[in-house]
Amino acid sequence: MRERVAEETYWLELTAPEIAAQAAPGQFVMVGFGASAWGIPFLPRPNSVAAVRGEHIGLLIRVYGAGSRRLTALKPGEEALVLGPLGTHFELNGARRILCVAGGVGLAPFLLLPAWPPLVSCGAEVRLLYGERQAAAVFDPGKLREISGLEAEIWTEDGSLGSHGRVTDGVDLNGVDLVLTCGPTPMLKAVRALAVEAGVACQLAVEEHMACGVGTCIGCAIETVDPETGEAGYSLVCSDGPVFPAERLRW
Amino acid sequence: MVDLSIQVFGVDFQNPVLLASGTCGYGEEYADIIPVDELGGIVTKAVTPEPRAGNPPTRVSETPGGMINAIGLANVGLARFRREKLPWLRDNLSKARVLVNVAGWSVNDFVKVVAGLDDADGFLGYEVNVSCPNVEGGTMFGTDELSLAQLVRALRAITERPLVVKLTPNVADIGVFADICEENGADGLSTINTFPGMVIDIEARRPVIGNVTGGISGPAIRPMGVFATWKVASRVKLPVIGIGGICNARDAMEYMLAGASLVQIGTAMFVDPYTAPETIKGLHDICERQGVAQLSELVGALEA
Ligand SMILES: Cc1cc2nc3c(=O)[nH]c(=O)nc-3n(C[C@H](O)[C@H](O)[C@H](O)COP(=O)(O)OP(=O)(O)OC[C@H]3O[C@@H](n4cnc5c(N)ncnc54)[C@H](O)[C@@H]3O)c2cc1C
Ligand SMILES: Cc1cc2nc3c(=O)[nH]c(=O)nc-3n(C[C@H](O)[C@H](O)[C@H](O)COP(=O)(O)O)c2cc1C
Ligand code: FES
Repeated sequence: MRERVAEETYWLELTAPEIAAQAAPGQFVMVGFGASAWGIPFLPRPNSVAAVRGEHIGLLIRVYGAGSRRLTALKPGEEALVLGPLGTHFELNGARRILCVAGGVGLAPFLLLPAWPPLVSCGAEVRLLYGERQAAAVFDPGKLREISGLEAEIWTEDGSLGSHGRVTDGVDLNGVDLVLTCGPTPMLKAVRALAVEAGVACQLAVEEHMACGVGTCIGCAIETVDPETGEAGYSLVCSDGPVFPAERLRW
Repeated sequence: MVDLSIQVFGVDFQNPVLLASGTCGYGEEYADIIPVDELGGIVTKAVTPEPRAGNPPTRVSETPGGMINAIGLANVGLARFRREKLPWLRDNLSKARVLVNVAGWSVNDFVKVVAGLDDADGFLGYEVNVSCPNVEGGTMFGTDELSLAQLVRALRAITERPLVVKLTPNVADIGVFADICEENGADGLSTINTFPGMVIDIEARRPVIGNVTGGISGPAIRPMGVFATWKVASRVKLPVIGIGGICNARDAMEYMLAGASLVQIGTAMFVDPYTAPETIKGLHDICERQGVAQLSELVGALEA
């Protein structure tokens, strides 16, 4: 299934029973077209698992370059190669009140959160802030509710929908014991700074260019520190991440 | 029944399909995804004397028909490789053959790695990555006739294991470098390593790759790899391992007809980890269709 849900933004549902049975929020899949069918894209592209419905997984993809354009042009019945679920997921660590901060298609992992068994069983309260540049880019709130059951507090930079400003302007950490965030790197850095200042636990789902998605090419390195020794080095976004606790990132 | 096995370096490979260095980690990483022991073998990520963190991001990006990479030889270093990675290879691979890819910046670096591994179990031999700058000479080992001769001679003196030199295509005549390896005691040659390349982000007006330049791999370089393999195989008697852009059995067969006894698959494994097992099956099917009983008969069987 393929549906346009906002400007240059599509909701795709792929049949992938094994991935659907295991995927957790923050994890991703590599979607490609096989080595012999090379053209554009050649390498598979990482995309967050945004929903699980029976044997299907949902992806929320925004057209950015050639690869995402090809993925969002997938037609019903067409086959793609999907590897996953890959990487680490958000950890609830007994949190009671969770604040999720999403920028753009960084919304994807949060759509999977409410139905995730560990969240259902712990019954934590989830508040979702969701920011976009302008109204045309905003994922339809009705569809968002239908997929995830979440009520998002929408922010647009030009004020054309929801609150006027950056999504980080809406961050209120009062009573919050866990912040989860995903989106453009400058937004992640701002959210991380707010959480660190307030002493609230924070986990970030980050992005880096990938080739293999499974830890073999050593291509998706990001600068990290070992919180115990303070030693700086690199970690792999695909297998040590994409979800990192705030104190691990060297930002 | 088609026989895919082939004798190279005095041992039997169950089939000619290996995974290329830097694209299969230390083997372990693929263990849950594909049956690694059913492959002809694997070539490990480069091992250097000391651990290396590698280059700053971005390290990889797509290019037409392939990719660019500048990983910076990130690896766990000799000591940890021997302690933590080699035992897995020894305990889990009984049929697939293992070559350890060795890198360094001076002859002494290479010597340290080979001397530090030679008495260990779990691998067959070495693949020497000469696409690294020689800090003593200022040029790459693989592009400088004198440093290459020195390096091969030094390694030959300290090991009896198969010593394969992985040539860079970045030279005027790769045949000359093949000769040098043969004359100085190498047991085989791998052709080819990546081509140097560069990609620019026109909005940021910056190179996409953190290291500015990187190596180009994937199907885009396949015709150049086949050419290098043909040129080298027609020139020297040593067995040649064909590498560059192999995505399926047809591609592997091109390399074998050009003279490769073994082949390696790299970048295509990122696109689909089943590429290697399917290539093995596909080689079987091609032989069956062409009425070939023994795949090894096709090595260098090019009619030209
Ligand atoms: C863990 C993870 C989860 C992601 N989840 C989503 C999602 O749910 N929805 C969504 O729309 N996008 C997601 N992305 C980003 C998406 O992978 C990129 O937008 C996409 O790779 C761009 O490819 P392209 O061919 O369209 O762009 P191009 O610019 O043509 O790509 C060129 C090369 O750069 C790489 N690249 C460019 N931008 C990025 C980026 N931001 N992150 C990683 N690689 C990049 C491409 O993979 C490719 O190798 C995710 C990225 C990661 C790492
Ligand atoms: C991400 C990446 C890492 C690599 N690392 C090494 C390495 O450590 N040592 C080496 O000799 N070659 C390395 N190579 C080169 C490959 O082994 C191979 O020679 C090259 O990629 C061409 O084959 P391909 O087109 O099938 O990938 C690397 C290639 C890639 C793409
Ligand atoms: S994408 Fe290859 S190691 Fe992460």
